[in-house]
Amino acid sequence: MAKQIVKMNLNGQEIEQLVDSRMLLVHFLREQMNLTGAHIGCETSHCGACTVDIDGESVKACTHLAVQCDGCDVKTVEGLAEGGVLHAVQEAFYEEHGLQCGFCTPGMLMRSYRFLQENPNPTEDEIRTGLSGNLCRCTGYQNIVKAVKSAAVKLQQKESATA
Amino acid sequence: MNAPVKTPEERKAELQGMGDSRLRKEDARFIQGKGQYCDDIKLPGMLHMDIVRSPIAHGRIKKINKDPAMAIPGVHAVLTADDLKPLNLHWMPTLAGDVAAVLADEKVHFQMQEVAIVIADDRYIAADAVEAVEVEYEELPVVIDPYKALEPNAPVLREDLAGKTEGAHGARDHHNHIFTWEAGDKSAADAAFANAPVTVSQHMHYPRVHPCPLETCGCVASFDPIKGELTTWMTSQAPHVVRTVVSMLSGVPESKVRIISPDIGGGFGNKVGVYPGYVCAIVSSIVLGRPVKWSEDRVENISTTAFARDYHMDGHLAATEDGRILGLKVDVIADHGAFDACADPTKFPAGLFHICSGSYDIAAAHCSVKGVYTNKAPGGVAYRCSFRVTEAVYLIERMVDVLAQKLNMDKAEIRRKNFIRKEQFPYTSAFGFEYDSGDYHTALEKVLDAVDYKALRAEQEQKRNDPTCPTLMGIGLVTFTEVVGAGPTKMCDILGVGMFDSCEIRIHPTGSAIARMGTITQGQGHQTTYAQIIASELGIPSEVIQVEEGDTSTAPYGLGTYGSRSTPVAGAAIAMAARKIHAKAKKIAAHLLEVSEGDLDWEIDRFKVRGNDEQFKTMADIAFAAYQQPPEGLEPGLEAVHYYDPPNFTYPFGIYLCVVDIDKGTGESSIRRFYALDDCGTRINPMIIDGQIHGGLTEGFAVAMGQQMPFDEQGNLLGNTLMDYFLPTAVETPTWETDHTVTPSPHHPIGAKGVAESPHVGSIPTFTSAVVDAFAHLGVTHIDMPHTSYRIWKKLKEEGVQL
Amino acid sequence: MEVKLDKRYELGVPAQNAWAVLSDLESVASCMPGASLGEKLGDNAYKGSVKVKVGPATAQFGGEVEILSMDVANKSLVLKGKGADKGGSSASMELEATIEEADGQSILVGLATVIVNGKFAQFGGRMMVQVSDVILRQFVDNFIAKAQALSGSDVTHSADTGANESHSETANELNGLAVCWALLKSWLGGLFGKKPAS
Repeated sequence: MAKQIVKMNLNGQEIEQLVDSRMLLVHFLREQMNLTGAHIGCETSHCGACTVDIDGESVKACTHLAVQCDGCDVKTVEGLAEGGVLHAVQEAFYEEHGLQCGFCTPGMLMRSYRFLQENPNPTEDEIRTGLSGNLCRCTGYQNIVKAVKSAAVKLQQKESATA
Repeated sequence: MNAPVKTPEERKAELQGMGDSRLRKEDARFIQGKGQYCDDIKLPGMLHMDIVRSPIAHGRIKKINKDPAMAIPGVHAVLTADDLKPLNLHWMPTLAGDVAAVLADEKVHFQMQEVAIVIADDRYIAADAVEAVEVEYEELPVVIDPYKALEPNAPVLREDLAGKTEGAHGARDHHNHIFTWEAGDKSAADAAFANAPVTVSQHMHYPRVHPCPLETCGCVASFDPIKGELTTWMTSQAPHVVRTVVSMLSGVPESKVRIISPDIGGGFGNKVGVYPGYVCAIVSSIVLGRPVKWSEDRVENISTTAFARDYHMDGHLAATEDGRILGLKVDVIADHGAFDACADPTKFPAGLFHICSGSYDIAAAHCSVKGVYTNKAPGGVAYRCSFRVTEAVYLIERMVDVLAQKLNMDKAEIRRKNFIRKEQFPYTSAFGFEYDSGDYHTALEKVLDAVDYKALRAEQEQKRNDPTCPTLMGIGLVTFTEVVGAGPTKMCDILGVGMFDSCEIRIHPTGSAIARMGTITQGQGHQTTYAQIIASELGIPSEVIQVEEGDTSTAPYGLGTYGSRSTPVAGAAIAMAARKIHAKAKKIAAHLLEVSEGDLDWEIDRFKVRGNDEQFKTMADIAFAAYQQPPEGLEPGLEAVHYYDPPNFTYPFGIYLCVVDIDKGTGESSIRRFYALDDCGTRINPMIIDGQIHGGLTEGFAVAMGQQMPFDEQGNLLGNTLMDYFLPTAVETPTWETDHTVTPSPHHPIGAKGVAESPHVGSIPTFTSAVVDAFAHLGVTHIDMPHTSYRIWKKLKEEGVQL
Repeated sequence: MEVKLDKRYELGVPAQNAWAVLSDLESVASCMPGASLGEKLGDNAYKGSVKVKVGPATAQFGGEVEILSMDVANKSLVLKGKGADKGGSSASMELEATIEEADGQSILVGLATVIVNGKFAQFGGRMMVQVSDVILRQFVDNFIAKAQALSGSDVTHSADTGANESHSETANELNGLAVCWALLKSWLGGLFGKKPAS
């Protein structure tokens, strides 16, 4: 099994690691970097529990090789909060009861994080479509949609506060 | 210090106790990716286990060649049934009194059955090794249809049961027959039908589906050879029962077995039973002396772990001309798969199916359920079913609709006519259930008013008379009563262990507390709701009450969380344990205030001397005092434990109404409206209840509108990945409207009934009722699920509906 | 999972040539892309294998093929094949193949019942008919080439060539990617009104 060096910026830190060429990013994060936030819920890239953020895009880490991240900016749920302060999406999910078992939550948060940058003022339909790559079995999505709406408002307020 | 005096309302609000929609205490770790699920666990020296599975549904194993797998560097072991034989672990007892193969012993009985396991350094090498193990099979004829399985010349599935004419639940009259279970009074029912002016019958299939929680099953087994202790982290909804079973199977004393259910990513009944994967991981760890992790993938989960339903039901109702039901008869063929591994209380091989007289006052009733073996994975009881209550409620609600249609009566009207009336509670049904409380009429009127039922029917009538209308409109109505909270030990046991539950509470000197229960949350929010119960009982803020579950070394023995039993049983244990502490606290308060107990009143968070508001002691004061110098005759400390044996089940109920618009051209259904009124008795946290209901309704939507597990003639399971198995996304999922009434349970310490499965039990027949209602004017009385666009499109063609 | 195939292929070669190839198990086997014949098991039965390549991955199906009956006068035979790969897929096929004549030209008529089990059925089930179509097209092209090569030489049938040990490898393996490409082309062609070659 060929091994390669991969260098990336992971949650704001430059790292350099030796990986098998065939190692999936989700296993690299979970087992080698001990960041177990990204979860594995399927093997057909449907469920989105493994969603992370790479170079400004939502990516499902289960269908991405670790070596593909060479030179990339990778953000996982562990990197959402800054300086101990929760990100607006994290606060919103908590306040709107947008989680129950928590298994889909890291993926939902990472996708919401990126979605709100793509569409800062979404309608409910746009939120549902924007999150259609992330499955949840517990919440029925209703409170997740409320959470994303609430996070959008929070981010806009923050935006206008710092403007 | 002179802090401003708080009003009782303010003090109550600070407790964030019962009735408060307080935010959840468990969320902090989940929103930061710091949950600890089984696959997150990493131990030094840990190995990975993967499973070689049968590609065919029925056959003999001719040869297994382990060598190519053993030759791969990093592979430690390859085990088959032969390796487990000396330990007598190649077969294991099931929860239903049958045996199931751990690793296929000479024969495979269903596609994807476990045949061998490989243990390797990492999951990649283990996956390589699985591909390398060579197994030769001799194919045998396959039985997929349970009716065909009962034909005289049907292939023999269970050679290990040859000659056994007595099963765990009575006589067996055919080699593929498991049991026949009956409830009610057959002769009374027959008499009612013989004399009835009107009878209706309907055959219906509740198809096989799978709970598919987002986290698959798995475990990390770690045997310490020096201490002789086994610790296993497991996705288990019933860790104590598993501990007892593991101890019995392995011979390791229960005192040296520790099962830990960490955070669980959804259970829904999929994580109740003991799977071969767990047993093999434990055996491997014991043999190798190192931790072994097993994490199944999604295909394995859907193909082999506990499926749900697969009941072929024939329902019959007898009634008067004006719609008063006189009798109910039900016959069921239950497809259990290759082994009877149903997670039911021992005495109930068909679960609580006999709740099928529903919310109605039916004098004479009888039901019979026949369990059958087929070449499919084992299971049957799972997926928010409350032990077959999903099937029972589906049956009766469909039958009532069929009767209404026959008599040309409105579906709401016929229900009003037959409801058990409020004054009749507690009501004993023809099947022997003693319904605790209910007020169905009030709830029904509330829903019909909220949706303006009359206007909806008028709209439907107008649309039916308009040939240019592009849709068929259907209104579904379900008025269900379900039964949860298993259960009284005199009738409910799992492998002999009574289905009580437990709670221990310890108050610390500085007024905060820790509490542990025998249940285990998988997203239901126990860490919050249980704390809220204690907060209201003891006047301590829920914020400082630490709730722990799932570690068998610390939690008191309980039967776990499934069948909506946590609030009815553990919730009661919590209240009772809290009241023991309350009683001791009162004594301490009396001592501190130098009055007699009779002079004290309890108000929210303190004991007050009657008539003197200035003289009081808060629970916090009392806690400290308990550790200082307790009064004569009392031990120091402030704690209690209670094991609660419920006197009865509880009977939550609901009224659900659904409006569907079906496109005449494509068969696509649009759920215009879904109104769900639930009565779960006392409501602990309305926000959490609503969340549970949204989730249950969504899973119900998935079952009714798209989930299926089709098998071809060779027993291949077609569609065992998320490419095919319908898990709705945010796009398909409707917006749910929730409502409630409160009819407390008179026998429950806090009047609560449990709620999480009601939305699933109730919504599935509601969707079917709506879809059928859309076709009812054409004489259609029933359409089997799932109501995919394709199947509805075919129905449209069949009925000659033109765009 | 069962698939029934009912195919007619115009061969453009004399019927005798076609029958000569069809009735010789070794010849026929060598037309099947990726197939090779191995040990002889009986008068009309052989062990065989088919190698499928998709990109860098190769799977090998091992099995048996047997001529159940042969009707020389009507140029028709019934053949049964079954195979399994170690990865958990198996297939069996019963094929009735006939060379029909019309206006001096020959047509290969095939009626087959194919049963597929295991992983193929679970995941590939929905593609079965289309994939079979493409594979059979390749087979027929090879068959025609072989039949054409026979013209001018003695075309008497030889049933038993005593090929106990020889493995007649085809030039081309069954290339999975090529099959997918062919499928894609025929699907795209269908979108623009062209009927895919049957």
